[in-house]
Amino acid sequence: MPEQVALVPFLILAIATLGGGVMVVLSRNVVHAAFWLLEVMMAVAGLFMLLSAGFLALVQVMVYAGAVSVLVLFTVMLTLRRREDAIRSLDLSWSAAGIALAVLVAAAAAIASFTPTLPAAPVVTPGVEAFGRALFTSWALPFEISSVILLVALVGAVWWAGGGEK
Amino acid sequence: MAWVALIPLLPALAFVVMLPMSRRARNAVRWLPAAATIAALGLSVAAFFAVLAVGGEEPVFRASFTLAELGGAPLAVGLRLDAVSAIMLLVVTIVAACVQIYSLDYMRSEDRRGWYFAVLSLFTAAMLLLVLAGDFLLLYMSWEVMGLCSYLLIGFWHEQDAPRSASIKAFLTTRVGDVGFAIGLAAMWASAKSFDFAVVLHGFEWTVPAATVVALGLLFGAMGKSAQVPLHVWLPDAMAGPTPASALIHAATMVAAGVYLVARALPIFHEAAPWVLQLVMAIGVTTALLGALLAVVQHDIKKVLAYSTISQLGYMFIALGAGSEIAALFHLTTHAFFKSLLFLGAGAIIHATHTQDMREMGGLRRSMPWTTTVFVAGALALSGVFPFSGFWSKDDILMVLYTGGHWYALVAALAVAGLTAFYMTRVCVRVFGGSEKAHAHEAHPAMLVPMALLAAITVVVGFTSPAFAGFLGEAKGWPDLGMAAVGTLAALAGIGAGVWVFGLGKVDTAVLKRRLPRVYAAFVNKFYFDTVYGIVFVGAYAHLSGWLARFDVSLIDGAVNGIASAWSKVSSVAWSADVRLIDGAVNGLAGAVTRAGGRMRTLQAGAVQGYQRLAYGALLVLLGASLLVPFVGTTVALAGGAVALLLMGVLVVRGA
Amino acid sequence: MTVGPVPFMALAAILFAIGLFGALSKKSAVMVLMSLELMTNAVNLNLVAVSRFVTPESMAGQFTAAFVMVVAAAEIGLGLALVLALYRKRRTVELDHIDELKG
Repeated sequence: MPEQVALVPFLILAIATLGGGVMVVLSRNVVHAAFWLLEVMMAVAGLFMLLSAGFLALVQVMVYAGAVSVLVLFTVMLTLRRREDAIRSLDLSWSAAGIALAVLVAAAAAIASFTPTLPAAPVVTPGVEAFGRALFTSWALPFEISSVILLVALVGAVWWAGGGEK
Repeated sequence: MAWVALIPLLPALAFVVMLPMSRRARNAVRWLPAAATIAALGLSVAAFFAVLAVGGEEPVFRASFTLAELGGAPLAVGLRLDAVSAIMLLVVTIVAACVQIYSLDYMRSEDRRGWYFAVLSLFTAAMLLLVLAGDFLLLYMSWEVMGLCSYLLIGFWHEQDAPRSASIKAFLTTRVGDVGFAIGLAAMWASAKSFDFAVVLHGFEWTVPAATVVALGLLFGAMGKSAQVPLHVWLPDAMAGPTPASALIHAATMVAAGVYLVARALPIFHEAAPWVLQLVMAIGVTTALLGALLAVVQHDIKKVLAYSTISQLGYMFIALGAGSEIAALFHLTTHAFFKSLLFLGAGAIIHATHTQDMREMGGLRRSMPWTTTVFVAGALALSGVFPFSGFWSKDDILMVLYTGGHWYALVAALAVAGLTAFYMTRVCVRVFGGSEKAHAHEAHPAMLVPMALLAAITVVVGFTSPAFAGFLGEAKGWPDLGMAAVGTLAALAGIGAGVWVFGLGKVDTAVLKRRLPRVYAAFVNKFYFDTVYGIVFVGAYAHLSGWLARFDVSLIDGAVNGIASAWSKVSSVAWSADVRLIDGAVNGLAGAVTRAGGRMRTLQAGAVQGYQRLAYGALLVLLGASLLVPFVGTTVALAGGAVALLLMGVLVVRGA
Repeated sequence: MTVGPVPFMALAAILFAIGLFGALSKKSAVMVLMSLELMTNAVNLNLVAVSRFVTPESMAGQFTAAFVMVVAAAEIGLGLALVLALYRKRRTVELDHIDELKG
């Protein structure tokens, strides 16, 4: 576990994240956008590693990079009849851009107002073992509830996606 | 004493168990809510005796659970069992158990009867939680659950138009009141930092302005739920639901929740400016008179009872306005029994004759002797004839008015008493007297037994009057003979007039209608409340959309479309009966609404992205407004936010 | 050279804004869902970063992020199932063609 967050890896991963995010939004091809999304997920997983959250990084790779991206790709393929359908207009909208920019400014203002209250970066960080212990003791109830949520979502997804044949 | 929590929990569990079932399984276990309610009744009796054994003002049982910390103060919900809630528990569980058992037979041929019983059970749970609540927050929560159940039950036959629009109307109208309730609660938290009865009602030093704001908010909520003028319009329409549900919800319990709320919060009303209590009384007087007058001209037996309920709730508000929660709660108790009895009797009659129109009934005393007996007992109680329960509670209210020197209210209350006896005589004569117009058969024993039980209670509960007051901590003797005589005289005068007009046919009502066409029209149109609402609210909407229309030229062509016709449908529902009478002006307005709907449709273009942008934009505007508060003050920030939201709406309408 | 919490927060804010822009402007339902994933990732990043720098011992932010992931996984599964159902019914995933709420 790194005790401090080093600048250089952070910069590399930040550029990868933001660049990928921009490419997701600016890709004309839906399939390309899905792959750029995969790239963002991997970069965020790297950032999690940098933040000493090893377990989350692992989950990020498995859930997002593994499952979600594949799911998105499958959906894209199932809903496109021809190869050319993947290419589409960029759909840029000024009002959407304005709102996103306003949210960004608000967030920046919030960060600026928080900054003085933040403590210096601590050196000690608990590892995966401590995470696991806490997950099954003090966080056990939310953990179980989340498994029920997943089950319900699973049943719902199967119902919606497959229920149309009747 | 933790078992007290089981009282609302048992019916709630019945609902939870029935919720995921299939329709067939739900129909098969329809007895489950009845069993849960009877168990709750047993526990309520135990709770009552527990309170009786201890006596005194202090609650016997208290429990609270802290939800969160807000601004350093704990936000808690809790239960509280004291004398008032013990009595309310008994009233609610007895009536609910009777209605559940009665419904088993009444609803037997309904396809979705399981759902009906489940919702009835949820309603019972919510009402029991409401009376057990130890703070205004929990009270408000269960209040809203009741509103939902009321909506579901009014619209039980949702495949028909009338119940569907009636359920929406009931929900929206009570919601108007609920907004007031919510504002009152917010004001309460802002000043007292607590919702707990013990703190808010007894421990906190209220300033007059704060108490006034809170009291007005609570009063507004109570007016919506208890169908007080001007928010009474939903209750007569609510009769489109199943009759036993009306008996429980729209006669005995939910509509009385407003009275219960004000009775609970009466200490705050005493701290508020004196005109607040006067306002309560004025609303009560207006409602009692208006309800009684309108009950006289209805032909639908359930509508008569509905207006009668409005009128009697007004009676309770009069008592509250005079500052006597005991008289109000006693009338609430007796009214719950005899009015649910009347509704169940009406249900049996409707079941037998397959009509709700009294003009098609008659002579039922021969074919339905038992129903006639219990119904007349209820009618006598409502009319206030000794020794039935209505006499005692009405006398209490009259006495309070007399000792408090509220002369106008006293005269009005006596007039209402006379009118009540008059219209109930009319109902009895029309339904039971005369020759038999339709073949009918006596109700099933499963329906008769609950009615007989309620009738028995109706006869005897009045004699508990001094004990009731003593239980709630006020020494009170037997009624004053003079006031009893005056009250009885009013009731007998009403009955006499009723017999004179309807029984003996000495006055030709058709002639009256011809002689006084304007008066009659006013009655038929329910004093134009629905009409005015149609013009003011629907019309204001038309103006607003017309104003927005000036920003938008591109869409004038598509006049009639989905939402436009929906809007005109809504508006035609709003003044259904009145359209013919108000002629051209209204038709013009309906056209305006139709056209205006065409403009407004751009705001509801169905485009998901538009909705998203609108939502995020509104969020940003509100955020900005809240950030501005420290610099420019609350009012300016709010006004600025409102203007910005309006501008945004205009931009979206223009399609930017 | 080390990095404090602020660059992470700024990074998360920018990623969130990019995702929001996509979610608000894209006309394809799949693209909107992908943009939503960008937004949840930004939120998670923020949670983990603040947790790392402010309350490293309790790891509350990490747990919250884990539960956000659960909800996001459920959401994307349901969302894509909806897109499929929609496609079967309407033969399109374009949001501006889906306007049945239109009055």
